[in-house]
Amino acid sequence: MASADGEGNVRLAVAQCIKTLTSAKDTDDITKVLRQLLCYLEDGHHGNIPSEQRLEFCRSHYTRVLQALVKGLSADWFHRMTAAQRKAWWDRQFLSGPPDQALLILLDAITASSPSLGLEHLVCVLEEFLRTGRIETLLWSRTEKENTGDSPQFREVVLGRLVGLPSITANKLHPQIPAAFLPQPYCQLLGSAILNTLEKTCQALRSGQDCFLSFLAETLGKACAQGYGALLFGSLAPQLSAHTHFDALWCRVCVKLLENVPDRWMEAVVTSLIQTVDCPEALSRIMGNVALKNTKAQFVITHKLILLQYHHKVSVVRNLLGYLALDDERRPLLTQLLQGVCNAWSNKSAIKHTPVEQQMYVSKALLLCLNLLNAQELEQLHSDLLQCLLSGVQCHLDSNVLLIRRIGMVVGECISQKLDTHSTQLSFQYEPDDDSRELLAMMQPVDNNPASSQSPDPAPEVIVENPPKQSEVSDPPDAQATNSDLDSDDELTPYDMPADQERQKSATPRYVRDCLEGLINSDDADRVAACLWAAADLLRKNPTVTQEVSTEFTKVMLHLEDKYNTLNFTSLRHNTMVALTVTDPQPVTDYLTTEFYSLNYNLRQRLDILEVLALSAHELSQPITKKPDCTPPAAMVTAFDQYSDLVHWKQVVEQRIRSKTKYISKGPSQAPPSAQPNRYAPVAGCFFFPLLRNYDRPQVTFDLLGSDHMVLSRLLNTLGMLVHLAVNAPVVTQMGKALMDFVWALRFHADQCVRRGVLVCVCAVFMSMPSQNLLIELNEDVLDTRTWLADVAETDVDADCRSLAVQSLVLLDKNLKKELQP
Amino acid sequence: MARPPPDPLYTLRGLGAAVNTLHFSCSEPARPLLFSGSSNGAVHIWDLTTRRSQKVLKGHADSSILWLDSLSRENLISQGRDMRVCLWSLAEGRADVTDSLFADSVGFCQCSLMQGGQGTWLLAHPTDCMEEVKVIELPTKAPLGSLKPESKLGMVMCMKLLQTNSGPMLVAGYEDGTLVLWDVSQRRPLSSLKAHLEPVMSLDFDPSRLKGVSGSAEQTICSWTLDGQQVLQLQEQVELVNPGISQLCLRPDGKILASAGWDHLIRVFGWKKMKPLAVLQYHRDMVLSVTFSDHQDPKQRMMAAASKDERISLWSIYN
Repeated sequence: MASADGEGNVRLAVAQCIKTLTSAKDTDDITKVLRQLLCYLEDGHHGNIPSEQRLEFCRSHYTRVLQALVKGLSADWFHRMTAAQRKAWWDRQFLSGPPDQALLILLDAITASSPSLGLEHLVCVLEEFLRTGRIETLLWSRTEKENTGDSPQFREVVLGRLVGLPSITANKLHPQIPAAFLPQPYCQLLGSAILNTLEKTCQALRSGQDCFLSFLAETLGKACAQGYGALLFGSLAPQLSAHTHFDALWCRVCVKLLENVPDRWMEAVVTSLIQTVDCPEALSRIMGNVALKNTKAQFVITHKLILLQYHHKVSVVRNLLGYLALDDERRPLLTQLLQGVCNAWSNKSAIKHTPVEQQMYVSKALLLCLNLLNAQELEQLHSDLLQCLLSGVQCHLDSNVLLIRRIGMVVGECISQKLDTHSTQLSFQYEPDDDSRELLAMMQPVDNNPASSQSPDPAPEVIVENPPKQSEVSDPPDAQATNSDLDSDDELTPYDMPADQERQKSATPRYVRDCLEGLINSDDADRVAACLWAAADLLRKNPTVTQEVSTEFTKVMLHLEDKYNTLNFTSLRHNTMVALTVTDPQPVTDYLTTEFYSLNYNLRQRLDILEVLALSAHELSQPITKKPDCTPPAAMVTAFDQYSDLVHWKQVVEQRIRSKTKYISKGPSQAPPSAQPNRYAPVAGCFFFPLLRNYDRPQVTFDLLGSDHMVLSRLLNTLGMLVHLAVNAPVVTQMGKALMDFVWALRFHADQCVRRGVLVCVCAVFMSMPSQNLLIELNEDVLDTRTWLADVAETDVDADCRSLAVQSLVLLDKNLKKELQP
Repeated sequence: MARPPPDPLYTLRGLGAAVNTLHFSCSEPARPLLFSGSSNGAVHIWDLTTRRSQKVLKGHADSSILWLDSLSRENLISQGRDMRVCLWSLAEGRADVTDSLFADSVGFCQCSLMQGGQGTWLLAHPTDCMEEVKVIELPTKAPLGSLKPESKLGMVMCMKLLQTNSGPMLVAGYEDGTLVLWDVSQRRPLSSLKAHLEPVMSLDFDPSRLKGVSGSAEQTICSWTLDGQQVLQLQEQVELVNPGISQLCLRPDGKILASAGWDHLIRVFGWKKMKPLAVLQYHRDMVLSVTFSDHQDPKQRMMAAASKDERISLWSIYN
């Protein structure tokens, strides 16, 4: 009865107050009302109010009062109040009452009001609200008591406002946001509030009081889900790690907190935590066995982070696997994870269709995992690992991509090393590079213990200081001895010694035919070497003789084997063949291109043919420089006149254009390189067309469209280069057309190297073909090409393919623009 | 910045045969001369002022000349593969063999000559027994003794007589790479040193520093010293790029050492520390001999090298 009476009193009083606030003109009246309202919120004011009435006020009337106050912002009495008065009577209403209601009202008011003095004041109050630790009060109030009697909707709204504060304020106040509302400071504030609440929880638990962590967990979850995970845990994780190190209660509280995170936010929380924590031990203390109890967390940890994502740093994988390995109950998850990783690693289709970066990531995870297993578990997983070793390594070695082959080798070696310590182990020959070193580093345990790395530091410094002193003492006599030993040798300055070289044992050949003879039937290693060294120069100096024997010489070079392990054999052989091709292009290219498709060559020889053709074409395409010598003087006079006239006319136009044009981009000027005559243009067809002749006729030993896709990719690259070098030649249109037809069938080849080659060709065609011809030839295929390129640019697994596709698109658009907008 | 290696001062051509050995005779006041011995048995006398061949001596039938030296300005001594050692008198434009000695050696070992006293010389020459060296006195041809090692060292390949405080000595290099120091007057070996793995092809000795050098068919040049107890001690080894040394020669002032290499190159080293100084390229075949002139004036001192490519090159280096 008394309480009902009290409720009635409060309602009456509050209604009176609100009426005064909305209608009164006199500042004194207002001040009186405000003072009366504060009595419900704060202790120590005269006219003490019973606590039931206070609770009633907070529960039912506080929001209404605040709303009335916000409305009053535009009233006269508010403007008449001094700053001190506002602070004392108005602001305190917001800072003393239940923080959740105050926060809602403040944010709503800020969102609703237009820029004005009132808005500024509200922002100040909100800043004060954050500064005085009301957030912490809010969190604690909801941790202390499980159900404060409000509806789930209200709880949801509070959560949303609490986490979304930076976004809400930023939307409203965009150019001038107070520093406290920016994500980073706010997250720090929120983090410390959470930490302090946890601290209070621990104290409460010690004193036997129950606490409820669900609101805290939801706050954490929602913040992480909204992308504040890294910021929040950046400040929170080290603290948690430190607290849990010494206090078991803290561990329990942390685990409980994580267990209370709702499933829909679990992934965000676990991921952010794993990313920010510095060692697996800390992770284990904070997370406990959440991975076992929560299926969502388990999925994220054992599957998503390892097999579905690959952008994480190695430390994340290390933390995660270390966490799983630290507890006996969690170790089954580790073996399960390794099984999954093994399957993924040895999956042939995955090797073909996933990016190299992901394969590298999975390989690292596999090695790290392998390193954590004990003998018993290794025994248990023996068959999986063996499967990995047999089929997985095989698949990797089959790949065309160097990195994948290397991954196969390194991982294969590591697995075999772990599997069998007694019998013979796998060992591959490969040049160690950054990637293989990175992989091998996974097998080394990392010492994360800061104490052990710090303590031995001072000792070596002491030791290091001594030896120099000793040597200083012992040095002078030595120095004197050597000084006294200085003699007349030093006054004789040595000459340069370029002649001081290993003697060639057989004489260098002086005639092309001698050289050929020496290469055909010499069993003398020195003679063959001498011939090889001399060949390229000899051939270039004697073009007439070379033309007589060019085909025969090419044949010999193509079939020449490195019988004597000659130094630089490969490059010498290439140079010689290039010299032959350049000196006598037509017969030699005829021969080489025919041989490319014939029987009984090994891959190396076919690749050599392609390389020689590309290099020769490149050399031939250099502009001919010594032209003026051979033009007769009589012709030169007339030509000169015309020429100068032409230049004059062109210059005038260019100057006019330049003066009227504003250049916005400062990139390299777009002037195309001026066309100059070269030796390649007349023979470009000989290089190009025969290579397209027989590609679809498989031989017994050579199946270009089948298993020999390495040659196919090289062929495509070479063809692309041949077309590109033929730019400005009349034949380039036919070449480009033929190449586009050839390439069209190979667009969706399974091998990424071939796809890359295809894109190189497309790029080359777009760059070299004159745009009007290009459009005529492509005509109806333009749209198809565009969609295909756009698709590749977006979805291809290979990064090079994607960038090449983008480049092709740009080139195509440029051509289109040039043609369609004259 | 290192200087480019020098070119030869001038070259002498037209000998028509490989040149095996060289000898300067440049004592004042007469015109400086260079003697060269070829594989066709001719000894050319070159006038270094006109750079022309002055005279050709033919005294060893057509057998290759192995070695040349001079007793005095007018008296030349030559060793040929006809197993004879001849003494020539060149005084007043003559060119006669005044005396000859049958050495009876079929090998390639060069003789060694050293002035004993006033008007007497010691000559060490190989004999019909391949391991033996005989020492005689000139011009009396009185035998001073025969030096033959007891252990099996193979043929004697090269030798040099030297005058020490305790009488004349001889250093000889043998086929198995051993160097032996002989006391000539007592006819006994004082010490031996296994310096090389291949036959010793050439050696030279610096009496002022009691230090010698030897080259062989392998890729190293060894320097060794003679200590107070007359014991040979290995000092330093210099590694070369190509194997094979035909001859080593120290400049009389003891500053530099020159080597004639099978790799067509002449190499110059600082003598004190065996520091490589220059690699001279001119010849197109094995260099067979290298020697320094005995000019009184150090500025005019030259180096001459003879090669299988029938040319002689003259160099001015580190003067």
